[in-house]
Amino acid sequence: MSYSTFNQTASNPLLEPMFFGNSVNVARYDQQKHVIFEKLIEKQLSFFWRPEEIDVSRDRVDFNSLTDSEKHIFISNLKYQTLLDSVQGRSPNIALLPIVSIPELETWIETWSFSETIHSRSYTHILRNLFTDPSEVFEDIVINTEIQKRATDISRYYDDLIFYTQLWQTHGEGTVEVLGEQHTVSLRDLKKKLFLCINSVNALEAVRFYVSFACTFAFAERDLMEGNSKIIRLIARDENLHLSSTQQIINLWQYGKDDPEMREIAEELREDAYQIFMSAVEQEKQWAHYLFKHGSMIGLNEEILCQYVEYIANMRMQAIGFDAPFKQRSNPLPWMNKYLVSDNVQVAPQEAEISSYLVGQIDNEVSAADLGGFEL
Amino acid sequence: MTTTFKVIVNGQHQLAVDPSQGTLLEAIEAAGIESHYHCRNGFCGACRTQLIEGQVNYINEPLAFIRPGDCLPCCCVPASNLKIEHR
Ligand code: FES
Ligand SMILES: [Fe+2]
Ligand SMILES: [Fe+2]
Repeated sequence: MSYSTFNQTASNPLLEPMFFGNSVNVARYDQQKHVIFEKLIEKQLSFFWRPEEIDVSRDRVDFNSLTDSEKHIFISNLKYQTLLDSVQGRSPNIALLPIVSIPELETWIETWSFSETIHSRSYTHILRNLFTDPSEVFEDIVINTEIQKRATDISRYYDDLIFYTQLWQTHGEGTVEVLGEQHTVSLRDLKKKLFLCINSVNALEAVRFYVSFACTFAFAERDLMEGNSKIIRLIARDENLHLSSTQQIINLWQYGKDDPEMREIAEELREDAYQIFMSAVEQEKQWAHYLFKHGSMIGLNEEILCQYVEYIANMRMQAIGFDAPFKQRSNPLPWMNKYLVSDNVQVAPQEAEISSYLVGQIDNEVSAADLGGFEL
Repeated sequence: MTTTFKVIVNGQHQLAVDPSQGTLLEAIEAAGIESHYHCRNGFCGACRTQLIEGQVNYINEPLAFIRPGDCLPCCCVPASNLKIEHR
């Protein structure tokens, strides 16, 4: 089925599945099949911020006072985060927009991806302030083997889905030869690839940032690199919202509230989804190991970071219907929470000056009265 | 006149919670029980709690998916006596 930028079939978007139905034609938001995506769009828009609004100039002095091992931790985390957001700033668009079938989800995907590009821009903002020429840091992202390992795992499910979607949209189902290789294309297989891809993205949004976040906030706990920490708090708030969307998609499938075939696939590939998550957890732990290979930093070490990853992974996996796989039930880094509260982004007692990043924060508070008729 | 509800947390703590005095999460914290949360705004799902018995009212509309048998205490209050698992 070839893609059309304006599908002339008069389909009813209220009856379309999230993916692999008719492609979207009219971008209308007066009615929604899954109203949650409209709400996520509004929330993400209310979060809007720009990195330039945050003053990072004091970080340069702090950075120069860090030990070599702390510098390694700080810069490595920025590299990893740059990789993650490079992927996330484009992939949901490229992989998911060609196959999405309802307008509110189409626009959520665009809004989500756009917010990831802001994250990418903020790493440049941070690095430019630390180095006269940040090229070396950026260039290392493509050649650093630790980063490469992660890049492979993060992009492969996207790439697979993208490639087979292209075959399907140009050749339809069946076997097709491309550059001397035979590929069998079926819609069922494509749906499986989509399922795995969403699970991989879900794991990314759920746990892959948290080792880096913990390091950032551990510096902030020592009043170091506070400009960077302000930016990362805004990023963390966005990532939690992105995660909410991938959890929604997975749960809608699992509970049969969308494409019934996706429900079957969710059951069939449950073990694969579990493994995808567990390997993301494992990679985060290995990342902690890599970060601390030259020495740890005050307030953090490899062991406690790994416990934190397990703590986070438990809660994230339960959110999509798995039993908590790890024993770690209590939060080994309780101070992390104050950086993750979305309202603390406005009122942070430890911050010297309140920056202007609240400009976009209209309508972030919904009062009970606004929701008089709301029921679950 | 205020109504308070009996809330049993993790099978071992018994709380008297007045729904007009704040969220269920705040009540859990006031009782000195370890709480789990990130956003405190209904969208991250980190406070997800098993609702074993009873009903809750959402005072802010949650954006996180609520699986059957769960609740999000950062944005709800008891609407009856409750039994919950918040671990
Ligand atoms: S703390 Fe985020 S949903 Fe409750
Ligand atoms: Fe991001
Ligand atoms: Fe994200």
